[in-house]
Amino acid sequence: MNIHEYQAKQLFKARGVPVPDGGAATTEREARELLKEHGPDVVIKAQVHAGGRGKGRVVKRDRASRTYNDLRRDPERHEGQIVGRRRGGVRLASGVEEALKEFRPLMDKDSRLVSVQTGADGVTISAVLIEKQTSIVREYYFSIQVDGANGQPLIVASAEGGQSIEEVNRTNPGAVLRVPVDPVEGFPAFRGRSLANQLGLPSSAIRQAGDMFANLYRVFSEMDASLVEVNPFVLTSEGAVMAIDGKVGLDDNASFRHGGYEAWRDRSQENPTEIEAEEANIGSYIKLDGNIGCVVNGAGLAMATMDTLKLHGGEPANFLDIGTVNRKDRVVEALRIIVNDPDVKTIFINIFGGLARVDIVAEGVVDAVNELNIQQPLVVRLNGSNVEEGRRVLHDSGIAVETADELGDAAALAVEAANSGRRRSRSNN
Amino acid sequence: MSILLNNRTRLMIQGLGNEGQNQIRRSLDYGTRVVAGVHPGFRGGDSFSHANHSFPVFPTVAEAVEQTQANCSIIYVPAPGAADAILENIAAEIPLIVCITEGVPVHDMIRVRTALAGSKSRLIGPNCPGIIQPASNCRVGIHPPDVFMPGNVGVVSRSGTLVYEAVDQLTRAGIGQSTCVGVGGDPIIGEQQQAILRRFNSDPDTDAVVLIGEIGGLAEQAAAAYIKRSMNKPVVAFIAGATAPAGRRMGHAGAIIEGEAGTAEAKIAALEAAGAVISRSPAEIGSTMRRVLEEAGKYQPPGAAE
Repeated sequence: MNIHEYQAKQLFKARGVPVPDGGAATTEREARELLKEHGPDVVIKAQVHAGGRGKGRVVKRDRASRTYNDLRRDPERHEGQIVGRRRGGVRLASGVEEALKEFRPLMDKDSRLVSVQTGADGVTISAVLIEKQTSIVREYYFSIQVDGANGQPLIVASAEGGQSIEEVNRTNPGAVLRVPVDPVEGFPAFRGRSLANQLGLPSSAIRQAGDMFANLYRVFSEMDASLVEVNPFVLTSEGAVMAIDGKVGLDDNASFRHGGYEAWRDRSQENPTEIEAEEANIGSYIKLDGNIGCVVNGAGLAMATMDTLKLHGGEPANFLDIGTVNRKDRVVEALRIIVNDPDVKTIFINIFGGLARVDIVAEGVVDAVNELNIQQPLVVRLNGSNVEEGRRVLHDSGIAVETADELGDAAALAVEAANSGRRRSRSNN
Repeated sequence: MSILLNNRTRLMIQGLGNEGQNQIRRSLDYGTRVVAGVHPGFRGGDSFSHANHSFPVFPTVAEAVEQTQANCSIIYVPAPGAADAILENIAAEIPLIVCITEGVPVHDMIRVRTALAGSKSRLIGPNCPGIIQPASNCRVGIHPPDVFMPGNVGVVSRSGTLVYEAVDQLTRAGIGQSTCVGVGGDPIIGEQQQAILRRFNSDPDTDAVVLIGEIGGLAEQAAAAYIKRSMNKPVVAFIAGATAPAGRRMGHAGAIIEGEAGTAEAKIAALEAAGAVISRSPAEIGSTMRRVLEEAGKYQPPGAAE
């Protein structure tokens, strides 16, 4: 789960990581207060979860799709223009009135931030972070992530910050430092000072930088984070270090230790169908661009199902791993969400029961057909635990479904049905 | 008797909730020797019975091991307690631990991996279907038993349902399995694909291996490096998620494209360069392996018992 930059900075500040003075505003009144306190020279930053904010644009809703296509064609098109022309999600301003002029369009309910990562609809801006400008001598990169191969936290740092670290790694790999963390030791300040020294920070900033790194590690471990990234942290003209950006990813699996992370979650940044899917507890759902609605058990099989559809010339409308299905009402709920997606022209159910029982899935499919007004053709492929009972349930119900035993055959049926544009017939006969 | 399991495997189950009970019944039906259960405050009392099988249930792993000499453990404990259960097994020096549980926090797994280093235990999982070895009737997991058949092909996969899918295709193609291992879909797991390949490589009962990977992480590249360096048996590989959008997590915590190396294309290229035979379609894993085995003269038609 991602959180906003202003929230990341609250986590930083609470653990002694230096961040610029400022705060988040959603109303003009709040913005005015912040500007009076931290002005006159401020940075104004749109708060969205999507990446690419700096190179994105803030536009009216009805222009979002056009802007998105422009950006997709030429992602660098607006680089370097953002601040000067006051179009992007990050802006500079001097004085209360000028700053409010920048603030208003960001919080306008008709505005959308569009970047290469937002999709054609763009995203609404949840809040605006207003901060005192920092006088920067040099920009650095710092992150903590989980290194799956070694089963340890990994710190990545570079004196070439403020740009894409992947790009630095590609063009100048020697400039990227990797420090594996011994999880028993953690990342004490002396390790931080050693890293600061390696990054070439001036001697006068090394103690403070070492503390900053150690405190960022506390954020990582205390919050059950999967990622803590500061790009950039800077050396200021006063000789201090400061985190001027902040990105924190939280591990959803650990939410039970943190009250569900409710205080940090922003549902307005999530896809509405995905929220609906989550509330219906039907598993892991992701909306995609195609027209074949998929209901699959297991993440690997769900991905493989998408791959098979594509190989047959089809396009999945979603990824859905319904997980272990041992209640038929979950199948009905899953199908309700798929059926109500206007993009879906065909439904493909692919279940290979292990923990999940195929006969229960089949009963759920029959219930769904009886309860929901399903217009789309339904292709069902069942295999695994209790498959004979499952196939019998489908057959005996008399509902109109197309079935195949093997994955490739079933995918071909689904693609054929989606491309033919036909509707579901009423019965088997 | 192939890898990890054999006919001396003495299984202990930890977590006898409803799902754990259902699954252990199916393992007992399959012929697996289950010697102990561990479940503090187990409602069924001090033993568990199913059909004509029965095993004692203990409050702690240490006591179960002492009383029954269990040498393999399967964990169905819910996510908040799963890491603790694994640590309990490591402390009891259980040689093989299989953790099925989905949703274990990644910071918990960092602690587990630290405890595993230098211990006497090996871990498979978490978030995995477990291990099954048809020839010894050993089912340490949640597999649908009917699709499996004894034979000479090993299977290793990050995804559980793709183990079933691949095995179903193998069995339909007349190819049996030596051992099938689901290593798990999380970013931090116990043994990774590469370690399982190494085991298959020195296993006299395995003539070829199906490797099923997916997007995210670098495990398939490590497997490819091992294949190139040391593997002397054919490997048929499929990578799931070629069509997944970047930046979105596809159910498995590990399945997210985070950069060039995490893409299916990068993994396929690495495996192909290492000499693995790629099945582009997940529907062609069985037929690809059949061809590979026939070319190697290792295709064994199903036994006379068929």
